[in-house]
Amino acid sequence: MKNKCSFKMVLYELRNINGNFMTHFFGIVFPNIMCLLLSKTVGSQVPDNVRQEVLTSITLSMSLVMPMAIMLLGYGALYSREVERGIPLRMRLFGYSEKSEITAKLIAHLIFLTIAFIIFSLVQIIAMDIPKPAFSSLICLILSLYLLGIIFLVIAHSFAQIFKKFSITFGVSMFLYFMIMMITGMMGIETEQLPQTLQKIAGMFPMTYVSNDFASFWQGGNYNFMPYIQSLLFLGAIAGILLLYSMHKNRRVI
Amino acid sequence: MLLTIEGMQVRYGKQTALKITSPVTFEKGERIGVIGSNGAGKSTLVKALLGLVPYEGRVATRLKPEQMAVHMQFNEYVSTMPVRCIMETILNTKIKEDKELQDLISFFDFEQCLLKKYNVLSGGQKQKFTIIMVMMQKAELTFYDEVTSGLDFETRQKLTEKMVGWYRDKEGTLLVVSHYYDELEQLADKILVLDQGSVVACGKKEELFQTYCGRVIFIMDNHEENRNLMNGFKLLKAPEHLLAIAAGDKEEEEKIVSILIENDVNFKRSNSDIEIMFMNAKERFYKKAGRKE
Repeated sequence: MKNKCSFKMVLYELRNINGNFMTHFFGIVFPNIMCLLLSKTVGSQVPDNVRQEVLTSITLSMSLVMPMAIMLLGYGALYSREVERGIPLRMRLFGYSEKSEITAKLIAHLIFLTIAFIIFSLVQIIAMDIPKPAFSSLICLILSLYLLGIIFLVIAHSFAQIFKKFSITFGVSMFLYFMIMMITGMMGIETEQLPQTLQKIAGMFPMTYVSNDFASFWQGGNYNFMPYIQSLLFLGAIAGILLLYSMHKNRRVI
Repeated sequence: MLLTIEGMQVRYGKQTALKITSPVTFEKGERIGVIGSNGAGKSTLVKALLGLVPYEGRVATRLKPEQMAVHMQFNEYVSTMPVRCIMETILNTKIKEDKELQDLISFFDFEQCLLKKYNVLSGGQKQKFTIIMVMMQKAELTFYDEVTSGLDFETRQKLTEKMVGWYRDKEGTLLVVSHYYDELEQLADKILVLDQGSVVACGKKEELFQTYCGRVIFIMDNHEENRNLMNGFKLLKAPEHLLAIAAGDKEEEEKIVSILIENDVNFKRSNSDIEIMFMNAKERFYKKAGRKE
């Protein structure tokens, strides 16, 4: 069994992503357009003294769309279509382990996420009036995007392996995507405005902290990262459990 | 011994899809043809041997999964890139640097397809694409599950000829599942007959023919005139439109031939017809078991 992920496999996965319209649209076009639209509409309605902070908050929220859209929606759609057609099984029969396959897919998608982030940053620099971030805050954001990307890819991969159908996987991923966007403050609804139960659920998602709190230390300052790290660990654990279950469900017994 | 199946049972829900009670052994270098009607358990057997479906019983083998290659009934690949990229990735090679792969591609006249995407290939080209990659695996045990199904007669013939040519001097063991008797006559030297999940017969092609058909058989159209001519000779089970007559020895064979020539009857003589062997093996199996076919 080929357990190691080769450069060729990563290149193959990059070509595969390149042929997937959903990843391009939801991962690159959508967050940039949303960010520009929101900044124009919301930005013009707030007083000048808080305008930059509001725009920073919009940028941070919209940056979170990228890992979710690329991994959860784009990868979920791409991989569930492959599962439905038996392509991963075909790869397994050619001797490729799931570990090497998911590693190659993950690396390729992280490369794509990097490209999407660079484009997003360029659009922000050119079109948005947001303050220059502190180096540590920028690193914090980039790390968060990569970690969330990994977690969402694992979740999407597991969904596809569990449901086996594009329609169900995409439906569940879409529901999760919009639910997360709504309750974590990414769509303009403040988390504090939500009912208590939804606020507690929102607290379990790392996006809530990035979306609501990261703007407060964008140009430096102190922040208690503990709840954020706990939520990352929680989501990571859920992804891990889903992956283990999906691998167990699809194991080969020889 | 390459592989032995002992007491294998595969169930889909309450239904038993495959039940092998007596041990079935595949030796190194054998070309095994698996034959049976729809629902006989042929593909289930392949899947069980590959570990794709759970089963009871035991498969005794030293082979690891990577030492087995398989051409499944349905093989799908991504259509987001040319098949050349898929081939080079799966085989972890570069076509321009791999002489053996180049030979195989030209052996199957696949050069013109390399830049196409998988979804635009024809049925025959799709089959060739997987066959090339399966052959390049050079596995100790290779499965071909209905490799020519869905292809027109001419493409099927050509593909089978190519496979026969390629494997002529190769040492690996082949297990070929097929509904086409002529394909198995060319590719297999051992036959495993399955029906309704049971093993009806298993053995060398010639041995099975002798057991269920005799030394030699004559096949002709089934109509009253021919039936009257062949009255008194041993009649074998055959497709409805055909009459199959067994000749036990040389003397009887000559007698049948002279009657047929004298009466200007078109006939076929065979000592390896898999279809007639298959039908008679099934008949005897169900008679012995006291079950209906």
